[in-house]
Amino acid sequence: MTLFALSGVSYNVPGRQLIDGLDLELEPGVVTALVGRNGSGKSTLLRLLAGQAYPSAGSIAYHGRALTDWRRQELARDLAYLPQVTPPAEGMQLGELVALGRYPWRGALGRLRSEDRQAIASAVARCGVSHLTERLVDTLSGGERQRGWIAMMLAQGARTLLLDEPISALDVAHQVEVLGLVHDMCRETGLSAVIVLHDVNMAARYCDRVVALGGGKLLLNGPISHLMTPDALMQVYGLPMTVALQDGDVFALPRNQRICKETP
Amino acid sequence: MRLWPLATGSAMTAGLWFLAALNALPITNWPTLPWHATNMTIEQILLAFGLVPRAAVALLVGALLGLAGALMQAVLRNPLADPTTLGTAAGAQLAIVMATVFVPGLLAGGNLLVGLGGAAVATLLVMTIGAQRNYAPVTITITGMLVGMLASAVAMAVTLSQGHYLLTLVLWNGGALTQNDFVPALRLFLCLLAALVGAALLARPLAVMSLGAEGARGLGLKVAGLRLVTLCLAVLLSAFVSAEVGLVGFVGLAAPAIARSLGARTILQRLIIASVSGALLLSLTDNILLLVAALGGPSLPTGALTGLIGGPLLIWLLPRMQATVPQTAEDGRHTQPRSDNPVRLLSIITLLTGVTFVICLFTGRGPEGWNIVPSALRDTFLPIRATVLVAAASAGALLAISGAVLQRLTANPMAAPEVLGVTGGSALGYAATVFLVTEPSGLALALGTAAGGTLALVSLSIFVLRRDMAPARILLAGLAIGALASAVLMAIMASSSPQAWSILGWLAGSTSSVTSGGATILATLALALLLVPLIAARWLEMLPLGTETVSALGLPVRRVQFLLIMTAGLATGAATTFVGPVSFVGLMAPHLARSAGLVRPRSFLLASWMLGALLMVLAAFGARTATYPYELPIGLFATLIGVPWLFILLLRKGQA
Repeated sequence: MTLFALSGVSYNVPGRQLIDGLDLELEPGVVTALVGRNGSGKSTLLRLLAGQAYPSAGSIAYHGRALTDWRRQELARDLAYLPQVTPPAEGMQLGELVALGRYPWRGALGRLRSEDRQAIASAVARCGVSHLTERLVDTLSGGERQRGWIAMMLAQGARTLLLDEPISALDVAHQVEVLGLVHDMCRETGLSAVIVLHDVNMAARYCDRVVALGGGKLLLNGPISHLMTPDALMQVYGLPMTVALQDGDVFALPRNQRICKETP
Repeated sequence: MRLWPLATGSAMTAGLWFLAALNALPITNWPTLPWHATNMTIEQILLAFGLVPRAAVALLVGALLGLAGALMQAVLRNPLADPTTLGTAAGAQLAIVMATVFVPGLLAGGNLLVGLGGAAVATLLVMTIGAQRNYAPVTITITGMLVGMLASAVAMAVTLSQGHYLLTLVLWNGGALTQNDFVPALRLFLCLLAALVGAALLARPLAVMSLGAEGARGLGLKVAGLRLVTLCLAVLLSAFVSAEVGLVGFVGLAAPAIARSLGARTILQRLIIASVSGALLLSLTDNILLLVAALGGPSLPTGALTGLIGGPLLIWLLPRMQATVPQTAEDGRHTQPRSDNPVRLLSIITLLTGVTFVICLFTGRGPEGWNIVPSALRDTFLPIRATVLVAAASAGALLAISGAVLQRLTANPMAAPEVLGVTGGSALGYAATVFLVTEPSGLALALGTAAGGTLALVSLSIFVLRRDMAPARILLAGLAIGALASAVLMAIMASSSPQAWSILGWLAGSTSSVTSGGATILATLALALLLVPLIAARWLEMLPLGTETVSALGLPVRRVQFLLIMTAGLATGAATTFVGPVSFVGLMAPHLARSAGLVRPRSFLLASWMLGALLMVLAAFGARTATYPYELPIGLFATLIGVPWLFILLLRKGQA
């Protein structure tokens, strides 16, 4: 069963086509990296997958059912989306934020039951923020806050996580922390994740598959190893890059242009 | 650069003026130069010393305002800056009204110095607050419009309290361009000449400034000095206009926008084209009004009419405004206090409100000073006082709950019914009811007012939902609606029809007309409209996280927003019928609740509701006793409590 199946999906804003006739299938149970240059349509695609926007043409099926057929609340129990910039949660404690993840289950009026509390507690524990539940969200460090938001997504009970550049504002230690968490969750509990990433090395380390976009079109859809070749990187980023392997870790760096010219 | 629109405009305005002049006097009878009043007929004098200088004044005032707006926009790098949006014009207006009423001697040497003082103080205030946010365009504009709104509110209240000055002041407030000699035109002309020289000298530094403050500093420009000099010049121009003809709104906003759309690229081009288009814009407006009056229509002050274009213009400009300052620098947040024991705090607030209510009920001022109602008079006095106090408390609670809901809805601590144009819309609803229904009942007025408020909110939210704009811009759009509403009201009042007087009296809020039935209805509504958001507390907890997040959580965002907006509109409309359009209780009460540390939605809502009631009871008490035996309008008193609060708030927000 495919996670997402897109057929002929386009998305237009006045004067511009952000996504151009995309046909694509995403696999469940893995971490998929969504890469591409700025303006290639990555975030737009993620918003379309999350049902935050609807395609101008074509259709998207989630778990075999057209996204438009999912009820909002039903979708929220199954699929969680983290926007690129998390909004400030003024005066809200982390525990309260995570508890909001139970909204799709309890609605505006329902009281939280013991299974809700359990879901919240295990989400908080899974993300390693149990000791922070009494802290105000706005006083947390970037990495703690991001993990808190992911805990909210887990409390939703979602099987699919869509994350838009979740590590762009974090230092490398926090990046590892957040991506490692997502990766382990997919490995251990069978969740699926689609992550928009700019850092190819982080993608290579923590993602299983890759979807690369360029100008709203699909450039690549395959195992992450397919991205980590000079040819693929040249195609995606338009930049000559060196790919190297050391101690089992593959990594890519932009080639030093000046040296290239001097030593042909 | 396309210049033909300017040429067309010139031809049109000249043609209109000729039509008006021909209507006044056939061309064969026009006086020949040189003009000597002694050997001219009345009609000839009216033409030569009325219509001709009026045309000149319209052109000159428009040019001065266009130049002032272009200067402000260039130095602040803010396409929404102009003497109206920065509070400069309203500051001058307030100073002149105050001087006219309280120290007329000050005006012996003309309005200019007093107006300049007011304009300078208002602008300084806005800039002080803006400086703490690095002159962020949105912050400056919001602050400026709030300052302007407050200044106009106070000026209006003072005007109302002085019946015998009313007519001249209202006319002056409305920016009437009527002339009877050439002296003002000559003064304005000299001022424009000097201003153009000054602007030409500033053109090069302003061009450097267009790189932004940091870039300009890098090129060795003294940014603070340039800001000071340019703003001083613009303020001077605005004060000059205020002193000569009164409040002429939004020309300074429109003219630079026209210049930009005509393709004026360099700063010098923009300054000059903005002056020319400002002149043509005001002249066109004035000549149309002249012609309307000549054809038997009502004679409206020109300034009020330019206000009408201001609101839509602001809304049109908003999406074009570059977000030059990142959100984090805009909101300058600091950690909110958070109470550990909200229940205890709520009990204290409730107790406080109850005690205050009782004190205000029993104490009062009599001929011998402060007293407690003697038992003999209790039966007569207490029911009257209780009615007013219950109505006041309910109105306060309604405004506060509306403010609390709007603040959660927009995730913006500055949102309030007064700021989002809801009260402005309500005022228009009231005015429409007064005009459309003969001898309207209290219920009809309340319904009309509520409908106006809801309509304002709905149009705002349609606009906002379509573009999904940042909270700060929602505020600006709301302020624009408010500006539009007050311009319409100004025009209605200047028409001085009998209905205008009833609106005028209501504008400042009056407690004397409330009946026990009305108070009961208000109280019931206050309780009912507390329940809706209390039930929806979980929504209100989520909504500040933004539409993306909450819709990802499965919330039907649009429906929820719509329901809450209707609640806020209804609450504001009902309260506005009683207290008039300006009070700031809807801004203050939720803020007090928040700074007391009540941040969870339920306790926040309850505390706001209670504090709103408390504030308005205090305002009612103050309005009754402060100037015994005369009663002040309750809305004015609430505003006077609100003004200092608002500035403390804006200043404190900037410190983070």
